[in-house]
Amino acid sequence: MAELLSKPAFREALENAIKGREAKNASFSQAWANGELSREHFARWAENHYHYVGPFADYLGYIYSNTPDSATDAKDFLLQNMYEEELSDIRHTDLLIRFAEACGTTRERVMDVDNATAVTRGLQGWCYAISMREHFAVATAALVVGLESQVPSIYRRQYPVLLEKYGFTEEEVEFFDLHITSDEIHGERGYQIVLEHATTPELQERCLQLVRHGAEARFSYTKALYDTYVSPEPSVANPAPALA
Amino acid sequence: MPTIRFTTSDREVEFAEGDDVNLLRVAIRNDCGIPFKCASGNCGTDRVRVEAGAENCSTPRRRERERLGELFDQGYRLACQTYVSGNVTVAWDPEQVGLDEGSKVYDKLRQVWLAKDDGG
Repeated sequence: MAELLSKPAFREALENAIKGREAKNASFSQAWANGELSREHFARWAENHYHYVGPFADYLGYIYSNTPDSATDAKDFLLQNMYEEELSDIRHTDLLIRFAEACGTTRERVMDVDNATAVTRGLQGWCYAISMREHFAVATAALVVGLESQVPSIYRRQYPVLLEKYGFTEEEVEFFDLHITSDEIHGERGYQIVLEHATTPELQERCLQLVRHGAEARFSYTKALYDTYVSPEPSVANPAPALA
Repeated sequence: MPTIRFTTSDREVEFAEGDDVNLLRVAIRNDCGIPFKCASGNCGTDRVRVEAGAENCSTPRRRERERLGELFDQGYRLACQTYVSGNVTVAWDPEQVGLDEGSKVYDKLRQVWLAKDDGG
């Protein structure tokens, strides 16, 4: 049976579990950072991203309900994170919709799940399942370390491009500005909670597994946006001509 | 290696040359004691006075400029909003609380709860 890792060793293992799977390196993220996308692509991104991050407070609520009273630090973190998503300022999904509207789509289209890819719907389902069913430290590892902690590294590349190349105003892209910094802190506090409360080798192992799965899920979600909207495969209805 | 010096808690943290690091994240990770609450640039609880190395701090974005107002001209930054790329020294009042009074944060909460009262 595996031995319990020290906190520094466990932290390093968590960080390594993301490496090689970072969503910032997925094709859609790279094309965005390189200024190769159009406003229409950003609109499609927003229509998908809403269905991943829109229920984030719901995911955290399920984790909260699975967290014992004794883990006050974890409960406080989850509650604060939920509050920031929904109430502390402009609701985060409203900031996302503001950006979407600046890209030419509508609130109705953004909220219509039929406009999300199957991979996006799968990511949302994974988040619900993990938050409902896993130990609170494991679910925090999966959603906060595996998914949320990647946000600053993605948006710090994308935000300047939106201002400088595409001419969005700071108000239109506030969604990105906000998350660059807030998710630095959420990510760090997430690490602390996982390090503190994953107290058995089995829990540590499960945390590492689900951080890997989370990073893979976010990578796949981001890659699917490129495959669907930027470089789609020929449709089955109109197959490419067969070679003679 | 570049160093962040936290005068108030008498701590120093080094980071890798070429990196730029979030000031509050470094403080939290290394127990340096900067008070904080929202970490979103709203409450202002984590404001620090930059005693040296302001040129090694990131350019403030709209959210931070608006929240700090004239405090920015007096050398303050919000730790959660600031990235550091070289030697920096910061200090703060250990008793400080947020700049929240009268802010939109409280306005928003007030609206939420007043709406509930109205609904009976």
